[in-house]
Amino acid sequence: MTAPLVGQRIPRVNDARLLRGAGRYVDDIEIPGLLHAAILRSPIAHGIVRNFDASEVDADLATVFGPDELATRLGDVDVLWILGDQTTHHTPVIDKHVRFVGQPIGVVVAASRYAAEDAAELVRIDIEPLPPVTDLDVALAVGAALLHPERGSNVLVNLESGDTASHTDAVFARAPRTLRTSITIGRVAGLAMETRGIIVDPQPDGAIVVHTSTQSAHAVRDGIVEATGLAQHRVRVITPHVGGGFGLKDHAYEDELCVVAAAIELRKPVKWIEDRFESLTVTTQARDERHDVEIAFTDDGALLGLRVHSIRNTGAQLTVFGAGPLFACLGTLPGPYKWEAVRGVGRLVCTNQAPLGAYRGFGQTQAAMLRERAIDLVARELAIDPVELRLRNMIGADEFPFTSRTFLTYDNGDYAYSLRRSRELIEADIAARPSPVDGRRRGVGYCTYVQLAGIGPSQVNHFIGLLIGGYETSTVRMERDGTVRVVVGVSPHGQGHETTFAQLVADRLGVAMDDIELLYGDTDLAPYSAYGTAASRSIAVGGGSAVLASEQLATKLRRVAGEMLEANPEDIVLADRKATVAGTSVSVPLADIAARALQGFAMPAGVDPGLTATICYDPKSATFSYSTHACEVAVDTDTGVVEVERYVVVLDCGTVVNPTIVEGQVHGGVAQGIGAALLEEIVYDSNGQPQTSTLLDYLAPLSATIPDITVELMGIPSPYTPGGMKGMGEGGTNGAFGCVVNAIAAALPEVAASVDRTPLSPSRVWALLHPEAT
Amino acid sequence: MNERDVTIRLNGAARTVYVEARTLLSDVLRHELGCTGVHVGCEQGACGACTVIWDGRAVRSCLALAPQADGATIETVESVAVPGGELHAVQQAMHEQHGLQCGFCTPGIVMSLVAAYRLGVSSEHAKASVLNGHLCRCTGYVNIRAAIDLAWLAIGDTP
Repeated sequence: MTAPLVGQRIPRVNDARLLRGAGRYVDDIEIPGLLHAAILRSPIAHGIVRNFDASEVDADLATVFGPDELATRLGDVDVLWILGDQTTHHTPVIDKHVRFVGQPIGVVVAASRYAAEDAAELVRIDIEPLPPVTDLDVALAVGAALLHPERGSNVLVNLESGDTASHTDAVFARAPRTLRTSITIGRVAGLAMETRGIIVDPQPDGAIVVHTSTQSAHAVRDGIVEATGLAQHRVRVITPHVGGGFGLKDHAYEDELCVVAAAIELRKPVKWIEDRFESLTVTTQARDERHDVEIAFTDDGALLGLRVHSIRNTGAQLTVFGAGPLFACLGTLPGPYKWEAVRGVGRLVCTNQAPLGAYRGFGQTQAAMLRERAIDLVARELAIDPVELRLRNMIGADEFPFTSRTFLTYDNGDYAYSLRRSRELIEADIAARPSPVDGRRRGVGYCTYVQLAGIGPSQVNHFIGLLIGGYETSTVRMERDGTVRVVVGVSPHGQGHETTFAQLVADRLGVAMDDIELLYGDTDLAPYSAYGTAASRSIAVGGGSAVLASEQLATKLRRVAGEMLEANPEDIVLADRKATVAGTSVSVPLADIAARALQGFAMPAGVDPGLTATICYDPKSATFSYSTHACEVAVDTDTGVVEVERYVVVLDCGTVVNPTIVEGQVHGGVAQGIGAALLEEIVYDSNGQPQTSTLLDYLAPLSATIPDITVELMGIPSPYTPGGMKGMGEGGTNGAFGCVVNAIAAALPEVAASVDRTPLSPSRVWALLHPEAT
Repeated sequence: MNERDVTIRLNGAARTVYVEARTLLSDVLRHELGCTGVHVGCEQGACGACTVIWDGRAVRSCLALAPQADGATIETVESVAVPGGELHAVQQAMHEQHGLQCGFCTPGIVMSLVAAYRLGVSSEHAKASVLNGHLCRCTGYVNIRAAIDLAWLAIGDTP
């Protein structure tokens, strides 16, 4: 019998097509008569649209839809996470009160994108300026201009997490020592390589077919239905190949909805592809927070309390997940340690900048950095080795399930092993390959996190104000020749589901990788999934449902095979495309079983014909993957340039379906964490004009910035997920961000307390080292 | 509006298009000539996704106007391996080393590496310089560098 496929380094099954340039991304789709759209956007940060004049546009060459025409056709976008004292549950698609540069006001449709942009230049938009509110201090000042006057304040949400104020105060009051630091985390862009894009293709019967680059076809459909009033079954959303998501492509954006309205009105197919300027100014951004962090501890290094007050500049308005990332940040502050009190207090503040949304890590990246930075400061103050200090406070492998001070019930694991092992690996590497003596200063940093991965169950989502379910559905169907189709609600954009889901299913049905096709990303075909692929959920929740559906189908195959072989179904083994009576050579090909079951003539008593199993899996619990990241950096004190030279990750994400794919996810996540720690920052000027609107200004890491990365996988199965998997897609980013910051502080002990701001660009690092010059 | 004929020897065959002079080469290749493997990631010359081989050299097709390519020989990713035939050593190594995830930046990287491979540059140069002209957001580049090492083994260049 062949070895199980789960756990093997199976090369991805869908690579060749992408390598040959035969992928089919949304801009690759052509439809006869296709028209092209350009979006009209606010050129200023704050104001009221007073006049919109498209009379200069030749109506034979282009059709223009202004804000009044669009507003009659488009309603609201839902906010799907309601937290704290939030009063906003919806935002209008079109609002003449413009609140950031790039806010959509209208749409121009023409025969080509070039012609649409030509026409857009002829549209005159008069906007009465209002005072721009472009940073947190301005937004919170007494008498500040209000972005949303009905709210009465620029604070859109106040929320809390973890222990009560009184309990936390008491822990801090009796703590022998406390320490405080303020940390500012820069605004970043998720930056998928493929920008957003949509084709809306109206059908003769009034339905629409939408092709769009999204992580969640169903979320886009829900958004279109909410905004347009079309019936769900009249809207079909299809995701072609998707060139990266990272959280950005998780809902129908306002500009996309404008294209929907235009296409419906024109009764013609319309394509809009976001350009990079739009991607860096309009697609949701992330982080942009100030945190006041207090930590309480004893003289011998026992951690007692963690108290964080956070302000997040959420930009112009709430988007689909509202204050969710701030809630997730505060909710995951405890990490792998035992505390007596952990409390987070957050304020979500609006300014005239692009709205924030979901991005890989979803707040958990910041939580790990804040906590691990504070712990390093404690270690420094007590002159205790920072790894030893962490080990003294970690939750033990025998203490699970363990409920954190923020009410997360961790499933299982061995956190201390990941930390110890990461230190062994990086120290061994330093010993084996000593750093050159080149005048640069070196330091090693650590960051251990516990990631809430695979959010659910649905009741918990509801309890925390998240208005979407936490389940996933899969259908496994065997065809007459014994090949298999797996239909899932999750949908990949680089994660390799076609390979990993086939590994999960093939083992359980006894078929080969080649026998399986994964179907996804089409609302007419796939089961409903509110998330699609996001929040490190695909393998933990979607994979769980695929495992259960496969097992249900396997049970049926065994029953039919038992009848055919005159054996007990429990003695039937499915492997090598055959059903075999265990311990014998008596077998029947799966294709014969499938033909019999699909004919339905001779089913065992009580067994229905057909070979389809569908399971809706609502997990008992989220999974909690974790890892320790360790890195060494070299800092050039003359230039401020930081180089990450060595990098180690020791990760436990439960059962590893495909180590190569897991490592690839870690690599990419680490690169995004390094980018945010060293380079990436979205910058606005004091008028609210974006200053980082090209890839020459917004610096994402290139190959030279990212070192080789050693990844070790622990593979302790989840006690909850069928199949034992835990989600991990965001973990690389969660660990890397804090790890790199800690390493820089370790390299520069004389200014370590001032390493309190990201990105740590060369100019910032140089300024830290040369305070007299700034 | 200032339209003209542009003739390109594209993937081995002469192709003539009648386009506005301002049309980007990347747009002509994608939308007029069907080479949708040419991906457009920024139109600013920064990301490298649109890279093609132009008279033997890797060039960002978003930075050229189509008329500039009149008379040029251009290869796009579609021509690197015969459809249905074996992958090029660079493509095969990218596959074996998991050097791609979403695949959007991949054709541009393949074209730059294929051009470098033909020119016989060292694997070290390919990793340190050629690859550094491309933005990838999924892989962290680690496995692309491993793919370069593997592909270059075939031409006797050990890392």
